[in-house]
Amino acid sequence: MSTRERVLGIDRRQLLGREVPLPPRALRWATSVVGFFVLWWAAVEYSFLNFGLFVGPVETLVAIYGYVLGDPVAGGSQSIYIHAAYSTYRVVAGVSIAALLAIPLGLLIGTSTRAGAGIEWNNYLSPAVESLRPIPPVAWVPASILLFPVVPVVGFSVNTAVLFVVFIGAFFPILVNTIEGVRNLDDEFRRAAQSLGASDRQVFRHVIFPSALPSILTGVSLGIGLGWITVVAAEIVAGNYGLGYITFQAYRLLQTDIIAVGMVVIGALGYASSAIVQRIANRAMPWSDIDT
Amino acid sequence: MDTAKWAKRSASILGLLGVWFVVGALGPQTLPGPAAVAGAFVGYVGSPVYWNAITLSTLRVLGAFTIAALIGVPLGLLIGWSVVFGDFTYPALELVRPIPPIAWIPFTILVLPSLAFSLGIASFEIDTGIVFITFLGAFFPILLNAIAGVRSIDDEYSRAAQSLGAADWQTFRHVIYPGALPSVHTGMVVGMGLAWVNLVAAEMISGGGLGFMTWSAYTGGSYPVIFVGMITIGILGYVSSTIVRYIGASQLPWMEGSTA
Amino acid sequence: MSKQESNPERRSQNRNQDTNGYEDMENGHRDLDEDDGRARATGEALVEIDDLTKIYDPDGAHVTAVENMDLEIGDNEFVCVLGPSGCGKSTVMECIAGYLEPTEGEVLINGDPVDGPDPSRGVVFQSNRLFPWKTIGQNARFGPQMRNAVDDDRIRELLEETGLSGFEDSYPHELSGGMQQRAELVRLLANDPDIMLMDEPFSGLDAMTKELMQEMLLDIWEEEDRTVLFITHDVAEAIFLADRVVVMTARPGQIKDVIDVDIDRPRDSSVLTSEAFNEYQKRANELIHDEAERAMEQKQQETQEA
Repeated sequence: MSTRERVLGIDRRQLLGREVPLPPRALRWATSVVGFFVLWWAAVEYSFLNFGLFVGPVETLVAIYGYVLGDPVAGGSQSIYIHAAYSTYRVVAGVSIAALLAIPLGLLIGTSTRAGAGIEWNNYLSPAVESLRPIPPVAWVPASILLFPVVPVVGFSVNTAVLFVVFIGAFFPILVNTIEGVRNLDDEFRRAAQSLGASDRQVFRHVIFPSALPSILTGVSLGIGLGWITVVAAEIVAGNYGLGYITFQAYRLLQTDIIAVGMVVIGALGYASSAIVQRIANRAMPWSDIDT
Repeated sequence: MDTAKWAKRSASILGLLGVWFVVGALGPQTLPGPAAVAGAFVGYVGSPVYWNAITLSTLRVLGAFTIAALIGVPLGLLIGWSVVFGDFTYPALELVRPIPPIAWIPFTILVLPSLAFSLGIASFEIDTGIVFITFLGAFFPILLNAIAGVRSIDDEYSRAAQSLGAADWQTFRHVIYPGALPSVHTGMVVGMGLAWVNLVAAEMISGGGLGFMTWSAYTGGSYPVIFVGMITIGILGYVSSTIVRYIGASQLPWMEGSTA
Repeated sequence: MSKQESNPERRSQNRNQDTNGYEDMENGHRDLDEDDGRARATGEALVEIDDLTKIYDPDGAHVTAVENMDLEIGDNEFVCVLGPSGCGKSTVMECIAGYLEPTEGEVLINGDPVDGPDPSRGVVFQSNRLFPWKTIGQNARFGPQMRNAVDDDRIRELLEETGLSGFEDSYPHELSGGMQQRAELVRLLANDPDIMLMDEPFSGLDAMTKELMQEMLLDIWEEEDRTVLFITHDVAEAIFLADRVVVMTARPGQIKDVIDVDIDRPRDSSVLTSEAFNEYQKRANELIHDEAERAMEQKQQETQEA
């Protein structure tokens, strides 16, 4: 129970001058969720806007059941697992490459911001990076289709255009958060480490990096979120596989159940990936009580 | 800023252009260099097609962002403030939240109609699907930050207000709302960025505005225009975030480190 | 909860209309101070803590913060509650303020059970709780503003008395710790509370500022005749300020002893070096030493268990 609930009078409501106990939390949550499905069902049933063209929650569940058993989707021959695997791999690969480049770059820019830090990398690098940052990753889609081919790798076709767009989506959040993480460190921690005899390398290893880690992981978490946004956009436009691709394919073929299933699966995978990052973050930083 | 710093920063931008120039000259035929793109830019600045696309995209972002703020801020403040209200509303929103707005595109094309109406002099057609996608992009960051903003306020501020005689709505007005504002502001900055991301995707797929201009430049083979579109979108995105930041800072004179 | 109207708005209206209040007080007589219209009981307990027990039970942890506590605080009395950290002394204050409901027993104010926070019971918190988004002037006006009864002269007077004139338009973060604490006191006094509940208000200040703040608090208290419950873990502070010092045990918090401090008022810092003061301090130190040790052991044990 939160303190907020312990404050007098908050966790009660009054009805006709009498106190009425509230239903327990689980019931309130259930009401909310059930309410959502009822609204969805009613919108389809009574054809609110053009909802009549869409599927209701029950049909969606039935469809999910079918595809979970491996039915091929959207006129192709692949099961939904293949498409989900493609999207997941693209997000993981794109975000990983972004992290591998953005974290060192961010540490370099962040540490060189301080006075007397040697070469002022931040002045050489920041303007170039900052001038590219405002372009939304999705706006890179046409350019990257133009520039990045589909490469066959051991029997799989790797769509490097989609990978590049995901990479761009994840790169900037990770970079910005890494820089912030380094800059926010109180100078006295550095001084303390130096006074205890740490060399520059050791200061970096034992003070700067760990203190920036929460912020870096926040960046990775944001990066994965944007990775899912961009992968769907890129697959709709440029893909031949993936959840974005089948969702849009389903629209063309008017298989509305797959549109709904695709949305559910994309949401579930996005949710699962942020939960995993949260887990890893808690593992990596037992000393921190900061949520990423 | 001293001259040395200026020189370094200019070198950075020139370096970027230099890399582009070299890659454009040596790389694939399809990649236009900076000169070609600059030429296309000059051609487009005089063209009404360009300005129509800019106006349409800007209006869509503005409209969607405003709706997102008008719904997201009050809803978030209430969810954060009242545990009970939050329990009844938040789980449903949490079901929808993990779905990236772009994944809604097929659904919105199917379900949301276009609205056409006229205001005497001019007639408008609003593609509600695109506005909805853009709205979704801005809505959840604003909502989540409003909720987090309320929860970050120490209970003792509310207690202090109550002990000074504030009624519930007065506590909301004088403690919860102002206390959550910094976080709401952060949410709006993030939301504005995501509004543009999702707008561009929606426009590429279902038409109109800068997103479509960029995409049709690709399909039509006029490659320099792709970069004209990207740069324009980048500038507009940057300007709108800066405006949100500026307005936010002017509303928060009490923040530590603010100049006001 | 159901016995009385709990709507704070209604409550503040009541406060406006019949400021002499407390009509249903059964025993004791009232002095009506015509100047400010505040009712004063004399010789009778204003605050009555009756067999108070508070158990926190988050996730079944079952921590008894306060156990079977009985205490009466008279009108215009200055009482300090002295105890080791984590002994539940803040809990006592929170029950009087109306933030917490006692698990057992009750807190009576003028014979009526506490029913939520009320402007007649002002609170000063340990960490400064001036609203950071309001200027010093807006903070000072806050209480009266809630019931549309702002008296600008009174606010100006209070700011002047505390040396804060000219800072009305500053935001709290622009002020020093001592000034912030004074501003919070002004905010409280502008509301004209009968009882001031202060939870270690000066613990964050440096020793010199602290001493000045204590003297200022005594001046204010002597001038305006208020009842003060002051919570502290500082032995010298408790004796310097209080008529009575209530010494509490480590958890579960109970009253270990009550020291009547019989030092003449008005007091100033010269008291600190007097022999009587030393005697009181010695006695209080002896009482609290073992409790502080026990509290420390408890804390260590909890950390190991967690």
